[in-house]
Order: sequence, then structure tokens, then C-alpha cells
Amino acid sequence: MILVVDGLNRHLFSDVLDDMFQLRARVFGGRLGWDVNIEDGKEIDEFDHLDPAYVIGLDDGGNVVAAVRALQTTGPHMLSDVFSAILCGEAPLRSATMWESTRFCVDTQRLSRGKDKNSVSYATCELMVGSLEYARSAGIQDIITVIDPVMDRVLKRSNCAPYDYVGKTVPMGKVAALAALLDCTEERIAGVREFAGIEGDVFIDEDKALEMFEAKKAATLSPANRDHKPLTDLEKYFVEQMHAAKTESERQAVLDLIETLSEKFTPEQKTALLGTPRAFAHEA
Amino acid sequence: MEIVDLSTLPQKDTRYDEFLKQVCEKYEMDHAAYAGMNPAAGSIHGHVTYSDEWKAHYQEQGLHLIDPTLHMSQRSIAPVDWSRLERGKDFQRVFRDAHDFGIPDQGITIPVRGPYGDIGLLSATRECSREEWKKLVGSVITDLQSLAVHIHDHVMTSESISRMLYHPTLSSREQEILQWAAAGKSQQDIGDILSISHRTVEVHLRSAREKLNALTTPQAVGRAIGIGLIYPG
Repeated sequence: MILVVDGLNRHLFSDVLDDMFQLRARVFGGRLGWDVNIEDGKEIDEFDHLDPAYVIGLDDGGNVVAAVRALQTTGPHMLSDVFSAILCGEAPLRSATMWESTRFCVDTQRLSRGKDKNSVSYATCELMVGSLEYARSAGIQDIITVIDPVMDRVLKRSNCAPYDYVGKTVPMGKVAALAALLDCTEERIAGVREFAGIEGDVFIDEDKALEMFEAKKAATLSPANRDHKPLTDLEKYFVEQMHAAKTESERQAVLDLIETLSEKFTPEQKTALLGTPRAFAHEA
Repeated sequence: MEIVDLSTLPQKDTRYDEFLKQVCEKYEMDHAAYAGMNPAAGSIHGHVTYSDEWKAHYQEQGLHLIDPTLHMSQRSIAPVDWSRLERGKDFQRVFRDAHDFGIPDQGITIPVRGPYGDIGLLSATRECSREEWKKLVGSVITDLQSLAVHIHDHVMTSESISRMLYHPTLSSREQEILQWAAAGKSQQDIGDILSISHRTVEVHLRSAREKLNALTTPQAVGRAIGIGLIYPG
């Protein structure tokens, strides 16, 4: 599924963005050997500070498996600046209805080969469908995308061949980089969907995504036995009570009881128990 | 009325208001508004089709300081449907008042980012059913994107400091294609002559037009000749 994160909702998805920046570090700093700035295991450049839009592919577990970044060509973007070598010093295209896409990447470690839902091929196609549809709904007609020759071949193989290129292919790190043109027509989108067998809405909306991440967090926090020791009867009792709590006042009553009996637990157990209600609060 | 074009309007202060009125007429909107910020000149521009009463109230109450259609929309690269903002406290504050002045809370804001940190916001509103609105937006959004950049570039270059900065730089491909257009060749012909796809010709022409702040190719050709970028055909 595809999640769009931009300047309006990025404060809600900082963990997702961190995952994405780490993926970018592995792909562009590692595999492709581009001269990118990596700090703290994350690849972040100045264009990430300009409120770009990120189209992010997530697997069913909510992990980032693919991502791409979009910027308007009317303002600062990579081809007008750092990728000017590709354009041989020529002025970049500037259009209200053209976006630039950069940092297209897919997690080849987490994903498998083949064409099933957890494959590199499917994730790549889903990300392409997501970015083309997002652009199209914004009234965008064309995308200029900076990619490496491998991605260019992937596009061609996936029913999504660029209709043309701008400038020339230039060496960059271990590979090369080039700028390709893609139209955001229904035909192109239908072609990729057909190739990968993608049906229906690929997007997950903000609220659903938040729910999913909340549930994921709850699953890693609960229950009160992070050290994998068997739960004591008292701990079990609280977890059950919290499950059974239907109203906010019932929930509060359980919290109060945990507080009252806190000398029965180690500090770790208490923290975990208090964390458990928070994790379950979402369901309650 | 064929196209909504600022350069066809008389050079008066009211021409932006007139432009916005034409946008409303052509695209079936109740109201349209443009706000532009130019850090290079340190200026802020505003043009609206709203009533004078609402304009006065908006300023008196300082609503421009909290209006999320201005402050939030500029952080998006895509047009922002106001339904994305409606849960915010500030949105409710602004549009509770707006309602009393007959202004609907159904609208869209198109953010434009210019090359020098300048930002433009073209908004349009309409009172109608949700379905009707979605359909309307879907059919006019590409045009509105172009018009947002059109009015923004016009407003920015109306200031001398930006006019100097906004000097159009065409790539040699764009110049070449404009030169063939000046010679009377169709897009199809140009594609054949240069052995490039029709879509490539289109995309370069569109870019050249926008850099020259023109909405049509003949206008772009005229301006390119005027500033000596190409030769008369």
C-alpha cells in the first residue's frame, strides 16, 4: 500500500520518514555509491527541508519497502541544481504541470524476487502507480525523473518505458544517472497495473495508516513481559482487566489499581504494565 | 471567452481581480483568491473576488495570521483540498466567520513555489455537493495549476527586483522548437523534423511558454522574438 507524506502530515509519520531515510542511505550511499550525505544512518539532503512530497510503499507489516520524492519544477528542485551535469548546463524544464521525482528506491533486501506481492517487482510497480496517480490527481501531466540505468530497464520491463530522455547519462558513484520523461496518462497507469496485477485503490489514508502504526507499536510493547518471563498471575489479571475495560473510567480504575499495588512489581514490570494499558487504550 | 489571460487585460491595479473573476466564470467557481509572498522584495500580494465586507472583517480580525488555507497549503506540493484542513481549530475559526459572509468551506488551494523562495497560492471555492465538487476539481485541476503559475509569475515580475531575477532561460531544445514554431511548423511537423516524439515537443513547448509567461505558443513566439531569443520566422 502507498502512503503520501508531505509538509502537512509529516509530523504524524516521523518514524516512517526515518525508515525511509535509512532505506535511502542503504540504496544511494551503499548500493549505488552516490556521493550523498549520511548522518545517523539516514540520507537527508537540502531538498528534504523544502517540504517535498514522499510517496512511500509499505508492506502489510507497515515497513517501508519503497519510496520516491516529488518536487515542483517551478521552484528549487534537483535538476535545476545538483543534477545540472545531466542537462549539460542547459536550463531545466519548468512547468506548472510537471513534477520532478528523485530518490526512487526499493528495499531489495526485505523483498523477494519473482512477481508476488512481496517482490521487488510488485513494490516497484505499486510505487510507480502510486506516484503517477498522486501526480495525476494533482493535475500534473508529466514527471521528469532522475534514475539510474537499472531503474530505466525496470521501467521498460514494467510497461512503463519513458517516452523520452532529457540531457545525457552521466557517471554518478558506482552507476550512472539520467533524466527520463514519463506522462501521467491513464494508459500508462493501466499498463503498469496490468503488468503487476495491481487492482483497486493502492493508497492507505492518513487515519488508517495511523491506526496501523499504533497497532504495530502496541504489538511490540505488550504485554508486560518484555523479558519473556512468564506473566505473574497479578500481571495477567491486569492485562485481562485492561482488555475488558470498556469505558475511560474503567480504564482509569485499572490504572489506579496498578499504581496502588505498585510495590508488588519491579520498576520494569510496572513501566511495562503501565505501557500496556496505553497500548490497549487505542482498542478500548 | 477562450482563455483566461492576464496579458489581455488592461494594465491596471484591478486586472488581477478581473482575472480571478474570469477564472470563476470559466471554471464554475463561486470565488477565487490569490496570495503571493515575495521574500526578495519583502512584499505580500493579495487579490480576491470576495465582498468588501468579508475583506474588511478578515483584516480586522487578523484572520490572515491564522488562515490555514494560506499557512498550511504552502507546505504541500499538490493542490490542497480544504477537507484536509477542516479538523484544525484555526480552520473552524476562519470558516465559522466566513459562513456568515456567505463563503463556503469547500475549496481548494493550489500552491506555487517560485525559484527565489517566492510562494503563490491560488484558491477557489464553491458551494455544491461533495460529489459534484470532486468531479469539478478533477476536470479543471490541470488548468488551475497552469493559471496559478500564470498569475503568480505575473505578480512577481510586476516588481522590478523580481523582473531582473526572473529572466527567462530557455534550453537549446526549447529555443529550437520555438524557432520551428515561429517558422509555422505544427507540433507534429516539429517532432518529425527533430526525430522526437510529439509528447516531447509538447512538454518543451509548455515549459517554454511558461518561462515566457505566455499561455499560447504564438504569444511565446512573439515574446521570444521580442527579447532576441529566436529569429523572426
